[in-house]
Amino acid sequence: MIGKFLERSTYFLFTVPAIILYTLFFAYAVIVGIQYSFTDWNGISSSYNYVGFSNYVELWNNPNFRDSLLVTGKYAVMLVAGVMSLSLILALSLNSLKKLQTFTKSIYFVPAIISAVTISLIWDQIFVRVIPPIGQALNIMELFQSPLAHPKYALFAVVIVNIWQAVALPTLIFIAGLQSVPSELYEAGRIDGASTFNRFRYITFPFLIPTITVNMVLAIKSGITSFDYAYTLTGGGPIKSTNVIGIMIYNDAFQNLKFAMANAESVILFIVIAVLSFIQIKLTRKGGVH
Amino acid sequence: MNVSIRKEGLGWRILRNIILLIGIIIILGPMYLVIINSFKTLEEAGKGFFSFPKALNFSNYAELLSKGNYWRVVWNTALITVGSVFIVLVINPTVSYAIARNRHKKYYKFLYLYILLGLFVPFQVIMLPLTKIMTNMNLLNPFGLILLYGALSLTRGVFLLVNYIEGMPTEIEEAARIDGCSTFQIYYLVTLRLIMPMLVTLIIMDSLWFWNDFMLPLLILNKAKEFWTLPLFQYNFKTEYSFNYTMAFTSYLMAMLPIIVIYAAGQKYIIAGLTEGAIKG
Repeated sequence: MIGKFLERSTYFLFTVPAIILYTLFFAYAVIVGIQYSFTDWNGISSSYNYVGFSNYVELWNNPNFRDSLLVTGKYAVMLVAGVMSLSLILALSLNSLKKLQTFTKSIYFVPAIISAVTISLIWDQIFVRVIPPIGQALNIMELFQSPLAHPKYALFAVVIVNIWQAVALPTLIFIAGLQSVPSELYEAGRIDGASTFNRFRYITFPFLIPTITVNMVLAIKSGITSFDYAYTLTGGGPIKSTNVIGIMIYNDAFQNLKFAMANAESVILFIVIAVLSFIQIKLTRKGGVH
Repeated sequence: MNVSIRKEGLGWRILRNIILLIGIIIILGPMYLVIINSFKTLEEAGKGFFSFPKALNFSNYAELLSKGNYWRVVWNTALITVGSVFIVLVINPTVSYAIARNRHKKYYKFLYLYILLGLFVPFQVIMLPLTKIMTNMNLLNPFGLILLYGALSLTRGVFLLVNYIEGMPTEIEEAARIDGCSTFQIYYLVTLRLIMPMLVTLIIMDSLWFWNDFMLPLLILNKAKEFWTLPLFQYNFKTEYSFNYTMAFTSYLMAMLPIIVIYAAGQKYIIAGLTEGAIKG
């Protein structure tokens, strides 16, 4: 009797642990988060009031939030540009390597396995100990101190550290894309007298479109939601020059006693990411040769 | 492909090798600085930051390891990683198998969409409510963190596994059923073995995430020093070692060492797993 019941409900029982964990720690959390964004809770007090959309209205008028969005946008654009161009160049170079290709690839992949915190701390030291001597030798005023201490260069420096780590995976994805191009096409192109650039433009590139989409979306999303690098390297400063939205949410929630406001900020981030994910699904359904 | 490579021009080959060499210097340069300076005294590093140490000085290592919390921190990180991977392996393949074999039924179709909706949600949205939920449930500890990782692994895991299982032929499962196997036996004896390649990919992606993650441990474990993981330990000692920077380098090296050793042993699988997961995800 019990055996029969178990057999008939095996599939259902298989779904139970996942449903419980996912509902409690994911779905419920999303709903509670949205709910908090309509309150005035500071995160500590025992009670709070519902205040409708006033957090959102306040954000709309808050220059700090606008600045943070702008910084995040700049961060994402620099990250995407750096990651896409470098990983494509590296993939083309690595893919045409005959000797030691596996070995070279495994060196290029090392940054991807180390934690962002350790990488940030190492680069922090490099910025402090290597850049100022160079600046003094070349007598460039801006480089007398770590670029992280300079409001004008801090964001760029943080992005460089992020790029240093983030290039590895897209490079390998591009290599996989390059290896999907049938070699006969290159032969045909060569016989027809196509130049190196034209062979890239008309043969390689169309085959790369799916991988370009994958890498682009990964880079955009990680740029917009980035936290670890800026938090470890600068904490958002100097003068909020690296105050990306991830840091603003964290600080508003846990330092500035604006817990409900931080939830409203993250709901706005949610909308941005949801739209991007939707575009990603649309794009990956058509594009490319595959 | 090989034919075309052999005909690559000399100019491109030189340019390519220069690019790759510069890249390797940029990647290994910081590593080199970390290693050499970790063996120097502060005085020696002050004289020459880039030069090779005159003698291998292990005092930084002795000091770091004698403090005792390094081992504690490595143990915590390993425990959390292994525990979370265990949960991932219990809940991901079971629910994916149930969904993949019952997609025509409303309940499973809905469940699939319900879990995939997680793809649209950035971590920031759930992180604030999660801190409150975890506090209320008394789960600000490694066990709570492991449960969270299990829950958060589902979106990617179910997406990858359902696709993989649906692409598999069902003949072997049907043969097993005719031979009198129960659904659970089929899952355990047949399916689980057939989806091994994708499970390995998942284990690699998730372990690296759990081992290196900073944000969730920061939210869940930061208040209790005895629960710190490697990234948290590193972050919190940032200020302590800011003056004694050769000591800081030693701690960076020791924080990287476990994962580098694992990488050296299984780099082929790690690289393949992460690439495969990223392309299919």
